[in-house]
Amino acid sequence: MADRRSDLTGQPENRRTTLTKAVAIAELLHRESSNLLELYKKRETFIANVISGDSRLVSVPPPSSQLDTRDKLWCLQTAFLQCERLMERAIAKEDEALGIETGEYKILRKMVSDRISYLVGTIGDVIKAMDGPALVTPSFNDSLEPDNLTVFEMKLWVFRVFLEVDHWAKTAEAVLQALPKERVKPTPRLRSTRRSRR
Amino acid sequence: MPAWWPQRRRWAVWLSCCFFSVLHAHVQNELRAPQQVTVTGNRQTQQISVSWRGSHASAFDVIILRPELNQTAFYVTGLSANESGGRQEWEWTSPEPLECTSLSVQIRSREGAATGAWSAPAVLPGNDVPAKGGFQFYPQDGVMAAGSNGTFCCVLAQGLRLGSIRYGSTLLEATRLSRRSYGVTVTRQPPSTTYGINVVCQDLHKSQVAGTVLFVGYAPLLTDLQCHTEDLVSATCRWKRARNTHLRGKRRTRFTLNHRECPETQFTDTEMESCASQVWEGNWTLEAVNPLGRFVLRDGAQMEHRVRPTPPLELSAEVSAWNATLRWSWEHAAYRSLSLVCQVQLGSGGNGTKRPFAGVGLRSARLLQLHPDRDYRVRVRCGARRNFFEWGNWSRSLSFKTHMDVPEAPDVWMRTDHDNSAHVVWKPLTARQSHGRLTSYQVTWRSPGEMAGGRTESVGPRTRTLPLHPARTDGSTRITATVVAKNAAGASPPATVVIPLGGPDQTVVAESRADATERGFALVWPERADCGYVLEWRDALCWRDCSVEWLRLATGSTEATVASGHFQPGVKYNISLFSCSSKPLRRWHGYVRELAPSGTVPHLSVSQQDSDAALTWGVMPEVGRRGYLLGYNVYLDNDPGVALLANLSGEGSRKYTVKGLSKGTYKFTVKAYTLAGEDVGATASITLRLLADWLILEILTSLGATALFLAMVTFLCYRKRKWVKGAFYPDIPQPKLNDDWSRTQGPLDVRASPNHLVRVVEKPQVDSFKEVLVVIPEEDEDEARQDDGVTTTTTTTTAATTAAHRQRPSSLRRHGTIDSSDSSADSGQMDVFYTGIQTSASSRLSPADVGRPASLAPAHGGGYRPQRQAAPPGEDRRDGEPEASPGGGREASPGGGGYKAQTAWRSDSPGEAEERPTSLGSPGEEERAAPPSLGSPASVASTQFLLPDGEAEQPGREKRPMSVSAAAAAGWFTNLLSSAKA
Repeated sequence: MADRRSDLTGQPENRRTTLTKAVAIAELLHRESSNLLELYKKRETFIANVISGDSRLVSVPPPSSQLDTRDKLWCLQTAFLQCERLMERAIAKEDEALGIETGEYKILRKMVSDRISYLVGTIGDVIKAMDGPALVTPSFNDSLEPDNLTVFEMKLWVFRVFLEVDHWAKTAEAVLQALPKERVKPTPRLRSTRRSRR
Repeated sequence: MPAWWPQRRRWAVWLSCCFFSVLHAHVQNELRAPQQVTVTGNRQTQQISVSWRGSHASAFDVIILRPELNQTAFYVTGLSANESGGRQEWEWTSPEPLECTSLSVQIRSREGAATGAWSAPAVLPGNDVPAKGGFQFYPQDGVMAAGSNGTFCCVLAQGLRLGSIRYGSTLLEATRLSRRSYGVTVTRQPPSTTYGINVVCQDLHKSQVAGTVLFVGYAPLLTDLQCHTEDLVSATCRWKRARNTHLRGKRRTRFTLNHRECPETQFTDTEMESCASQVWEGNWTLEAVNPLGRFVLRDGAQMEHRVRPTPPLELSAEVSAWNATLRWSWEHAAYRSLSLVCQVQLGSGGNGTKRPFAGVGLRSARLLQLHPDRDYRVRVRCGARRNFFEWGNWSRSLSFKTHMDVPEAPDVWMRTDHDNSAHVVWKPLTARQSHGRLTSYQVTWRSPGEMAGGRTESVGPRTRTLPLHPARTDGSTRITATVVAKNAAGASPPATVVIPLGGPDQTVVAESRADATERGFALVWPERADCGYVLEWRDALCWRDCSVEWLRLATGSTEATVASGHFQPGVKYNISLFSCSSKPLRRWHGYVRELAPSGTVPHLSVSQQDSDAALTWGVMPEVGRRGYLLGYNVYLDNDPGVALLANLSGEGSRKYTVKGLSKGTYKFTVKAYTLAGEDVGATASITLRLLADWLILEILTSLGATALFLAMVTFLCYRKRKWVKGAFYPDIPQPKLNDDWSRTQGPLDVRASPNHLVRVVEKPQVDSFKEVLVVIPEEDEDEARQDDGVTTTTTTTTAATTAAHRQRPSSLRRHGTIDSSDSSADSGQMDVFYTGIQTSASSRLSPADVGRPASLAPAHGGGYRPQRQAAPPGEDRRDGEPEASPGGGREASPGGGGYKAQTAWRSDSPGEAEERPTSLGSPGEEERAAPPSLGSPASVASTQFLLPDGEAEQPGREKRPMSVSAAAAAGWFTNLLSSAKA
């Protein structure tokens, strides 16, 4: 992450590149989360008819148009921090209930989880490029992680996690693409202490 | 009966009543309804336990109801219950999960057919009670054996109605268990995937959903448990799973070895699973357990029989050019005293060999017979030498390269060309022979007598030959050449060859054809030499800069197979056997595989020899033969195809004669053939012409045939001369002479006799061609003369009618009837006409005429004139006096007077006759038109008179007009018939 940040400082070209990279990562995450959803629906055929996509697990309000750019980015960063946590929990629960996954599903699942982490950092870089504090301290809601789930409930919950990730990836893609690139200023050379949650 | 009998009887009845009353009381006591009935359920096993007291009956009836719908879930009669602590106990397993709905249990006592009262219902509440109003599905996370039946139930939330229950994608038919609960059953379930089978219940409006994930699989099944030791202390047991349980995660199989739990291992069907034990126990029990069952395997052995060494560590090598020493270490010090056997796998360039080594605590191995300057890759594995169990794992691989060494001596030979140049040639050293990268070849040559010195030249490592021109050999006839290969390690031993100079060796030695096999040429020779052999072969047709190959053979060899990757089919090779000197002992030639000739026979020519065609051709060049010529085939190219004329065996047959050809054009093809077939063929054409002798012969033959024909005709004519004469030269009838004809020659009076009139009957309706000449016989004439003295004659106007006769009718037409001449009347034959001129008096004289007096002969030249009648005495007429015809004056003979009717006669050609219609009305013209006749002297008219036609005598029949030629033909045919009759 340090290497990733080092090239964002100072140069105007890098400032523009920071946002462009964030957009690209969001697009990539959206594509990958969509693929993961499709793969999951194919495996669990019942699930598409059971759960609608409007139930939210992430307790972050959507970045409405009334918010300024910085707040939008904070919303996105917070939401993706929760998504990251949800993905980790979903992977752990699945492996516990169903055994260690193998194959394409496992690879894609891991790829989405890693991409979320990368996007969180990149959004932080964008926020820093806008002279804002780079660190967001996420508040986690433990109620998002239900315990004592049956396997059936766990499947439903994992699907909701995937839906949530896909929703926020789509949102991030739209928000980041809408950001005016000239607003991004050079970021000061500072070291982030974010994500101390781990 | 005694008096006391009624009293005794009364007692007996009373006692009986007492007994039965006691018995009845006892029965009543035993069939009392069970009291204190309690029901408990185990939802994991779906079992319910029922206990009661207050009844000592030997049997009981149990009924289990679903109280909401008052359905009987189970009923059994006459069961025996276990008694424990004064309570009767009984257990039952429900097919449905106990959460599905409440169950009500009632029991009654039974003694035979007698039953007591039902106990009060004991209820096991389900999850469909109002207190639990949520949407539920049971069982949750169930695990079932593959092939078993599964029953599930969906408990709807309050106020919902059932929509569907699906097992995977299969829609199931539900059975109502209670007001909110529905059950479904699936039979013979197949194994599920690792994700389980989703069984989902939805309400009618699909607003809510409940479900479960069902895992269907098998109990564990293991095989091949074997425990071994690696460190001579602990034990490691391995086994295989015989089948996939389809259960993972929480439901995975768990193992214990001698009741110690084994850590979880990753499992694949192809891998062994293992579990370690800290000490060698000698006997092991492996137990595998999953939710569907357990499986136990056992193994036992002594440790020394189960040693499987760990792989060697720290592999290293000491390397030289030809050898290497491998060294390694062991993880466990206990191996120092362990007798080991090891395998060293040695690989180089894709090839691998395994070399065995053995020893106590083996820690090194010496690898011999390696090759210099070569890369090797080795690894080692070991096993216990005594009571070998199995090989341990391979060590990590080690790569090394052997050192370089001096090259091997090159294989040197010589090559001499026809231009007297010689070459030292040597085979390139292979990587195995060069022992390192070659730097150069050094060639030294000197005269055989020189022991040292000479000239030396170094050439590059890729050079294979060095020319030794006469200028470089100082005119020597023989030189000794030595070749040395060099690399970084040094120079190879020298290789020497003696080269005769002055061109190829022409020594006459035995030469034969080499037998070709699939592998090459199989050669055998009787000579034995004690200095080895060299078999050399080269392209027989190569003249300059020819590549040469050779093969060195050991001393005493008498046979060899010459094989080369450079052998080409259709190429002739010369093979020479050398030994001890540069002079060959024996030579062979042959083809590894013959082909059909590629060329054609040269100089094919064809020439005509009388009626034959001689084909000749030249010797086929060796280049185009591509095999041994076996002969030639000669073909004739005809239009429809090619015909084989001859098969000439033998290479020396180079001519062929095609015999008996007629004139025309011929195309010949000559094809040489080998064992493999024919060439494409050379073609030559020739056009055969008739010779002059033939022409002369044909002319002579034609002439001879003509002469023979004429001779035959002549002969036939001679033999049939009478007939011929009758047919072509009939005798002229001799006139009847009433008077003496011996009188002197005088003018012939041709006036008609007064008594012999000729009446011309005019037939106007008939044209002049249809006038009919009526022949009047003499007798009739005589009779007519006697009767009335007039003869009526129908005049026939034919081409044969003489001018005199024609004039007469014309005059008659003018005068009606005319008198005939007296002289004619005298003869009685005055109607004889002569239409020709007798050109030869002798030939026309009848035999009767021969004896005539000479006075009858014409007084003038011009031939016979039979009609010339001498004028009777007194009736002399002057010559030139005109006849009745006014134009008769033209008929006066310039040479003599008298009748000259025959002086102008017509051709008897029918055509001519028809083309010349006779005009009676114009005698003058007729006279002029009558050309002089050179035809037959026969008179058709006279013939008619001489041989009267029978038809002419038929009265009333109209005479058919006849031309002169027709009349002549008729006469000729008649004569032929008469002659034939004669």
